[in-house]
Amino acid sequence: MVELTPSFLMDYESLDKEHQALADIVNQVVEAIDGGEAEKCKTLVPEFVKLATEHFAHEEALLVEVGYPNVKKHQDHHRNLNTKMDHMIEFSNMAGENQLARDSLRKELVFFLMDDVITTDMDFKAFVEEKIKTGDA
Amino acid sequence: MKGLHVIGVSHSYGDNQVLNSASMMIPAGEVVCLLGSSGSGKTTLLRLAAGLERLLHGQILINDEVVADAEIHVPPEHRGIGLMFQDYALFPHLSIIDNVTFGLAGKPKDKARRQGMEMLDQVSMTDYAESHPHMLSGGQQQRVALARALAPEPNLLLLDEPFSGLDTNMRGQIREETLTVLKASGVATVMVTHDPEEAMFMADRIKILGNNGRILQAGRPHEIYYHPQHEFVAKLFGLMNRFESVVEGGYVETPIGKLRAKGLGEGRKVEVLVRPEGVTLESNSGGKSGGGAPLDVISTHLLGHDNIVRAKLTAENVAPEERDLYVRIHHTFEPELTKRITAGVDAEYAFIFALDGSGDVAGDGYTATPQPEAAE
Repeated sequence: MVELTPSFLMDYESLDKEHQALADIVNQVVEAIDGGEAEKCKTLVPEFVKLATEHFAHEEALLVEVGYPNVKKHQDHHRNLNTKMDHMIEFSNMAGENQLARDSLRKELVFFLMDDVITTDMDFKAFVEEKIKTGDA
Repeated sequence: MKGLHVIGVSHSYGDNQVLNSASMMIPAGEVVCLLGSSGSGKTTLLRLAAGLERLLHGQILINDEVVADAEIHVPPEHRGIGLMFQDYALFPHLSIIDNVTFGLAGKPKDKARRQGMEMLDQVSMTDYAESHPHMLSGGQQQRVALARALAPEPNLLLLDEPFSGLDTNMRGQIREETLTVLKASGVATVMVTHDPEEAMFMADRIKILGNNGRILQAGRPHEIYYHPQHEFVAKLFGLMNRFESVVEGGYVETPIGKLRAKGLGEGRKVEVLVRPEGVTLESNSGGKSGGGAPLDVISTHLLGHDNIVRAKLTAENVAPEERDLYVRIHHTFEPELTKRITAGVDAEYAFIFALDGSGDVAGDGYTATPQPEAAE
């Protein structure tokens, strides 16, 4: 199960809330798979993708607002995650019948959230913290 | 969360920056391979996680505990890590069981021996418990090295080119056995390799490090191979056919066929990289052209399970530097002189990158970055 221990916190309330909401869905997917209810993934994963997409948009708007110098790089990173999200949807559609799809979905969701989303967001944590201190965010 | 968490790690040797803000999370039970060319910083990252180098910038956590940052440096022996290198590094004067129990020094002797024998059993080496390293083959020594690394039940296992000292047949067998043992152990594992095939076989996720010490792409092996986001990543897997073109009407024309350039704007200059298995060959009897690009076969090279065909495109309008063609086919290929052979392209193995340095790439997964209003 995914647990957002302190090293995964951005210390920016709205972003941390969004990360937690994503983590909650990942855990629901894991529970559904482990509980023999993988069919639920068909609705949970699109919900995850929708929330992730909204999170990316919110985050990009924030980074533009605070003048983060590597905003283009972070936007490109988000854009490159679209392929991964497409694949997760495909896995979720097959999860009810296919063990490999279930295994791949579980693995991909955890890596996506913990590695691609949250750990990559740490790149701008210090910058946003500094902006908060100076009253610019 | 259990596993290895690397946050914004940069490292230099003098003026030579070898890691540039590298971040990653490796959950317990998963195997992540760091793949890159020599000097890309992958071994440095491993050494920093192990505590063999002092971290200059960033933070490293193992199972939620900070083991390295600008101020903290937990020594290697207190990090709960297992290490395995290509040279096995077994102690020559100790028996196999004593090698395996070396890291269990704090435990009662009989308990340590029982645990060591269990580990040897996992790698099918119990019969050699009283032997010495020089009596074993390279593959057997590597099995013992794995047992020794896992015996103390580490939080994290770090493997540095662990199979490169083995011959080809042994390598395949040992890496398969190693993967089985790693998955059973549930330990988070980081493996450094420069062998893309090895990374594809072993990894749940591959991290590609570029020459500038940056992580260029991370993903499942399938994703790295079929959806490279960077030309460096595409080229890592061996020979590529390269063509330059311009986006027109949403497509790019190459000498071997037309490809959709989804997401790249009109008039943009691009390079098209086609894997050798993405070139299709067709034989047309009687010298008739089937619509593909005509070519002359220069040579064929049987590699066992497939062939590499070297060919030269013969149409006059093909630029001289784009005439040489490499084709990989999975069946016997013996060109007949009476037949005309033409080439086509399979879009699944073709990748289109903008040539303007923007890093933009065309592909099925490419869509514009979602905007706030679109996310309602």
